[in-house]
Amino acid sequence: MTASTRPDSIHARRPVDRDARPIVDIRGLHKTFHQQGPWPWSPRREVLAVQGVEFTVQPGEVVALVGQSGSGKTTVSRIVLGLEEPTRGEVRLEGQPWSGVAESARRGRRVHYQYVPQDAMGALDPQQTAHEHVIETLTVLGGLSSAEARDKAGEMLDRLGLGARLHALPREMSGGEQRRVTLARVLALDPRLVVADEPTSGLDPDRRESVLEALIGNLPPDAGCILVTHDMTEARGWCHRVLAMLAGRVIEEVDLAVAEPVHPYARILFDPWSAPVPRGPLATSGCPFCPDCALAVDGLELRCRADVPSLNPFPDGGPAHRVACHALAPDPQSS
Amino acid sequence: MSDGAPLVRLRGLTIRAPRRTLVEDVAFDVFPRKVTALVGPSGAGKSLTARACMCVLDVDPGLQAGELYYPALGEQGRTDWFADVRGRGVAAQQRLLARTRALRGAYVTYSPQAATSALNPGRTIGRQLALAIARRESPPADAGAEIRDLLAEVGLAPHVARALPGELSGGMAQRAALAIAIAPKPRLVIADEPETGLDPVLRRAVVELLVEVCVTHGAGLLLISHHQSTVDRIADDVVALPGHGAGA
Repeated sequence: MTASTRPDSIHARRPVDRDARPIVDIRGLHKTFHQQGPWPWSPRREVLAVQGVEFTVQPGEVVALVGQSGSGKTTVSRIVLGLEEPTRGEVRLEGQPWSGVAESARRGRRVHYQYVPQDAMGALDPQQTAHEHVIETLTVLGGLSSAEARDKAGEMLDRLGLGARLHALPREMSGGEQRRVTLARVLALDPRLVVADEPTSGLDPDRRESVLEALIGNLPPDAGCILVTHDMTEARGWCHRVLAMLAGRVIEEVDLAVAEPVHPYARILFDPWSAPVPRGPLATSGCPFCPDCALAVDGLELRCRADVPSLNPFPDGGPAHRVACHALAPDPQSS
Repeated sequence: MSDGAPLVRLRGLTIRAPRRTLVEDVAFDVFPRKVTALVGPSGAGKSLTARACMCVLDVDPGLQAGELYYPALGEQGRTDWFADVRGRGVAAQQRLLARTRALRGAYVTYSPQAATSALNPGRTIGRQLALAIARRESPPADAGAEIRDLLAEVGLAPHVARALPGELSGGMAQRAALAIAIAPKPRLVIADEPETGLDPVLRRAVVELLVEVCVTHGAGLLLISHHQSTVDRIADDVVALPGHGAGA
């Protein structure tokens, strides 16, 4: 239904170079937070936010991270941007080490890797106009002279449909317009990578489309993009690949143009009305979805409870379809 | 009290702002144990319509035409609440607001959009529930037990009663707001986009809970929703607002 509003698919619009050096290359990523209880003497609780995430983003590619609140999407995106250090694992951006590198060495590269926040109003200066926001970004981060910045900022805002709103203050703009200012600020820098954390939350469906059109339609052709989202229509229409997360792990990786998700939890995520929603808590050992899973029966149940399934190629799927499930994609060596 | 009488009967609702018409000629009924969904694009007047059903009108010049009845409200079932208000401007709307104060929070309750910010941040969930329970026609002797039952009904543990809203996650806050909305045993619950900001799985859980709880209590539900998938699954009636005069 939504496909009809876009004449061509994301694959046709943004060809991906699969053989090129990846923009983002994440290996064995783990992140553990230590949460302090209410009092200084209360024990600190370990929160395993990310547990063994691996993926790449190729030039041109838009990758969606989907999952419920608390599944680790935001932590992964913060680590990719270098706002958080991984507990274990490695992040390389454009082939160069990124995690664990001294800030002095990273600072010059940061301008290429940009972030679109969820709360646009909170990210804008209430006293600056749309134009001033973009000009400031271009002079401070982009190193342009103020005359150059003025022209380029005007041009970018015009491309995002804000040509008539250059002198509007954030409070005078609608939610969609505010978001497009945050996008203009990021896109004017010709980023190599954009991480967008739920850029459309709180907008109605029509405005969501226009914000994504502004973001993905104006992304440099060889730049990568990680889109964190709750909205499965968005993931379907705007992303080359979807990574579904549960309890800090990627449980399925699928290209929605060629296949549908098969993991029972991923299917609930994509169509919550298709099956009873999990009500109980997630399992702490083995597959986190095990207590609510219809596939964990007979001989498999013990395995599902004991071992965390690894992300294996789905036997009946295409090359890029991987799923973490003992029933659907058993480990090759154990079968 | 016949079970079939509508809880709300709205006819020809038209609300104007100074320069444009916000809502034009909207009519519907909400029945006990039924879900009526109010859908439409942003700016179509969904919230305005829902608020009008609670006699909350705060636009200038405001209500131009329309009739509002609460047919299930005993002796006052035939009262047209908008009778002295249509076309009379802000002062008349405020008199109506004052006149119907006792109905809100008792006959009709409201479950807000952003639960986290709509709950009183300085009062525990238990205290807010106790205040809502006190609005019943016959308040129960043991409010503590009643609070535990209400929390259990929305899937929250008893200790949540001692928590402040800021200590709850988004889904828990939404459940707490729902418990507060049903605490006075209302006849009608109005839920304004209860799914906002929740992930798809939680969204379904909250909506299902909302319907389940309303139906078990014999209440009617007027639901505002953006999500077609939600409306398709749970609504008995759908009222689509066309969205003329939208801001953008």
